[in-house]
Parts: sequence; structure tokens; C-alpha cells
Amino acid sequence: MSSNTLRLYLTCIRNTLEAAMCLQNFPCQEVERHNKPEVELKTSPELLLNPVLICRNEAEKCLIETSINSLRISLKVRQTDELENILTKKFLRFLSMRAEAFQVLRRKPVQGYDISFLITNYHCEQMQKQKLIDFIVQFMEDIDKEISELKMSVNTRGRLVATEFLKQFI
Amino acid sequence: MAAISVHQFAHSITSHAWSPDKSMVALCPNNSEVHIYKLVEDKWEKAHVLQKHDQVISGIDWSRRSNRIVTASHDRNSYVWNLEGSEWVPTLVILRLNRAALCVQWSPEENKFAVGSGAKTVCICYYEQENNWWVSKLIRKRHDSSVTSVSWHPNNILLATTSTDGKCRVFSTFIKGVDAKDSKKATSSDFKFGELIVQLDLSSSWTFGVKWSPSGNTLAYVGHNSMIYFVDDVGPSPLAQNVVFRDLPLRDVLFVSEKMVIGVGFDCNPMVFAADERGIWSFIRYLGEQEVVSSGSSYGSQFSEAFGKLYGQSKHGASNDAVETSKPHENCINSIMPMSEQGTLIRRFSTSGLDGRIVLWDLENVPDLLELLVR
Repeated sequence: MSSNTLRLYLTCIRNTLEAAMCLQNFPCQEVERHNKPEVELKTSPELLLNPVLICRNEAEKCLIETSINSLRISLKVRQTDELENILTKKFLRFLSMRAEAFQVLRRKPVQGYDISFLITNYHCEQMQKQKLIDFIVQFMEDIDKEISELKMSVNTRGRLVATEFLKQFI
Repeated sequence: MAAISVHQFAHSITSHAWSPDKSMVALCPNNSEVHIYKLVEDKWEKAHVLQKHDQVISGIDWSRRSNRIVTASHDRNSYVWNLEGSEWVPTLVILRLNRAALCVQWSPEENKFAVGSGAKTVCICYYEQENNWWVSKLIRKRHDSSVTSVSWHPNNILLATTSTDGKCRVFSTFIKGVDAKDSKKATSSDFKFGELIVQLDLSSSWTFGVKWSPSGNTLAYVGHNSMIYFVDDVGPSPLAQNVVFRDLPLRDVLFVSEKMVIGVGFDCNPMVFAADERGIWSFIRYLGEQEVVSSGSSYGSQFSEAFGKLYGQSKHGASNDAVETSKPHENCINSIMPMSEQGTLIRRFSTSGLDGRIVLWDLENVPDLLELLVR
């Protein structure tokens, strides 16, 4: 059941991204000789489209904000308990610190979200649109798996340590 | 097959234009240069490189009769290039812009050209003999956002513009001393320079790619909400038709006849629109072969590879090298240019896109569309 809703959630995001990723080179209207992602500046309201919020449940959602030359995708990852919370935080921080390696990753997530991507028209010129979308969707798929794997290994290790520690009392 | 040849010129192309005899093509490879390629024994060879701008060039137009090239760039400047001997010599245009120039087009009589800009203005430029430069008159305070495209009416006076404020406007550009007062064209030269003739507020999103039909009776432009608009009787009481299509938005259009339009855009495949006997426009079909929708099961994710690198191990053995290159265009098509004309019919045209390709299309070997074209 849960894997089925995940599939639907990801398909919905994929289709939204497909429609939203129609970006073009657009120079700044406010500052001369500059070219900035309008979705970050938000100086000209007519250059922004309505943001789309896709929720799987309260804990997992995805916000897609689009402008004429850039697109911002913000994710909130499921965190059911304290351990998942801390693991997600640490893990996504680890990725954000290496944002250059991912090109489209934003160094700081948008407020209220765990991780954000910023895609500009330059990314669309250099990379294939389909691959970019695949990357985002694959990322979302992997992140859940990764967190639960980490959680499992932390628990296993905790159990092992506890067993070793308690052995001395036998 | 409608696409007769595909040429890869650069990583991506922002704009292209053909020489009057179609033996040369000028294109901007997404930087501050214009490359002119010449067809030598069935091969395209780089003949000239025009360097003067210092930011990306957004528009190129090559005049048909006077053999001049005009370029517009994000660096706020525009140059007119003249071929003197074997060299292209630039002439400065005093645009008086303080934002990027976005699009440019020669007027039909080639004594003026229009530049749309990010300063929410349109410049109408004409040559001033005594100073040896091109000066411009500005249409100010009419647009609420950047002007994305301009198009001249065949009468050399009317100019249509589209803008990111979602409107399409038609202006008079009559300039005393440049345009002769013609009694035959009395209706169009009655208006003063910069007078707004009609403002079309059909689209709820940004508008692009405005074009006049060969006779100047119909106007077509596209909206970013995946719609195309056809306007007849441009004047006080325009007659508009909206056509909705289900795919991604268009960027540019071309009238191949009075009753047929080719639209290009984010779908990487030109779309054909045509009007029936009653003048009702509708979407006919895609010009290129429609790709078979592949099931998205085998993604080779860059993330998982990067992941593997970060962890010093390869989690997935997937690679994403094998890319099927069956489609003529792989990325957004941003301009379409006519190539051959017989009367008012255009059978051959070219498209260029962000994938760096120029594709030549011919309607001659597409029987069903040719029938619609010549009827």
C-alpha cells in the first residue's frame, strides 16, 4: 500500500516538473546587465507562476515554485521519530555542504523544508530535461531508503553495543 | 519525413537567421559571438565570426534586400553589420536602453528595425546619414514587463509586440522623414509614432512569438499557458480565436500561408495549426514523428552515481550513456525562420533550439499538410 502511494506521489511530482520545467534565458528587469533566478529574487510578480504544493501526507510534501527562468523544488522528508529526525537533518546537511557536486542542489533549504533544489535555464541548456527530472525523482526515492538503512544500522549497532556492555554483568 | 536535414552547430543556439540567398546562416552559439556558416560542397563551414558584444546575443535578423545583419544582446546594445569586401563591419546603434535587448526584427522595407527590451520599452531604430549611426525612438510606458518579441506588419508602419505581462499590443511606428506619407496607406499613417492601436488581453500568462500573416490580416501569438491566439481584423474591434493544446507551451510561430501556422516550443516538435473554410483554427498534428512514450523504469540516476562516489562504492550499476537520438530536436526550439517562398506560401523553413541544432523542414514530402497549404 505505502509503496503504491509513493509511486503515485512521485508520478505526480514527475508530471508537475515536466510541465514546470519550461525555462528560458531571461535577463533581470531590475538590475542592468544581470541575470538572476527570478524565483529567488521575486522582484517582478508577473514573472512568477503559481507555486504547486504536492503532499503525500502531513510529514511528506514537495513545493514546486516556478518563474520564467528558474524553478525551485523543496522537499520535506518523512520523520516519524527523533532518530529519523536527527538522521535526516545530518544526512541532508552533509549533502547540502557538497552542493556544487550536485549542481542543482541549493545550499540552504527553503524555510519549512528539509532540502531544496534550484534549477535555472542554464541547467536546462546543459543537461537533458528528462535526466534532470529523473534525478530529482530518483533522489526522492533514494532518500527514504537511505534514511531507513541508516536507522537500521544505528539500531543494530546500538543493540550490539548494549549486548557487549551488558555482558560484564553476567 | 518532414525534416530533411539536421545540423549540429553548437551546444545550444539562441537565434539564427538566413542570408538573402539562403547559402549562409548566422547563428549565436549562446554566447557573445555571431557565427556565420557558409554551405561549401554540402558541408557547413564557419566563414565569419562577429565579435563586438560582451553578453549573450538574444536576437539576429538578416535583411533580405540590403544584406545587413542586425544583432541585439543582453549587454543593452545592438549593432548593424555591413559586409564591406570580405569583412563584416559593425555600426553602433544608439538604443538608449538601460536593460537587455531581447529581440530584433528588420521592417519589410528595411529602413527601420524594432528592438524589444527588458526595460519594458520598444526601440524603433532608423539610420541617420549625417552621424553615420542608427538612432532610436522609444515607445515608453506602454508595456508593464519585458518585451519578448516584435513583428512588423507588411505595411512597414504597424508593429506587434508580446510581453511577459501577458498582453499583445499593436503600435504605429510612423516616423516623419523616414516613412513617406502614402495616400494609399492612409489608414496606417494617420497614427502618430508610438500610438497604441490595439491591446489584446487574451492570455493569462506570458506571451511570446508574435507574427503577422503574409497579407497582414491575421496576427498569431502564443501564451505560456499552452495556448495560441489568432486575431483577425486588428483594429478597434478585433476578432480573436483561442486554441488550446494539450502539450507544453510554444515559443515562436511562423505563418507558412494565410491559413496555416507552424508553432515551435518546449515540446521539441513543431506543431501544425490550420484554419478551415470558415476560418476556424485548430491543431492539426505534429510535424515530426511522434515519439513512442517509453516506460520510465530504467533511470540511470546521476544521484545514485554521485552517491556511490561519496560512499566509495557503486550502489547501482546504471549508466546513462545510451541516449536514443531519433528526434530532430532534443531540447526547446526557440526560433523558426522561413527559407523558401513561392508567392505567399512557405514550403521550407528552419528551426533552431537549445540543443544546438538547426533542422531544415520541407512540407513538399508531407502530402496531407501540402494539401492544406496549397488549397
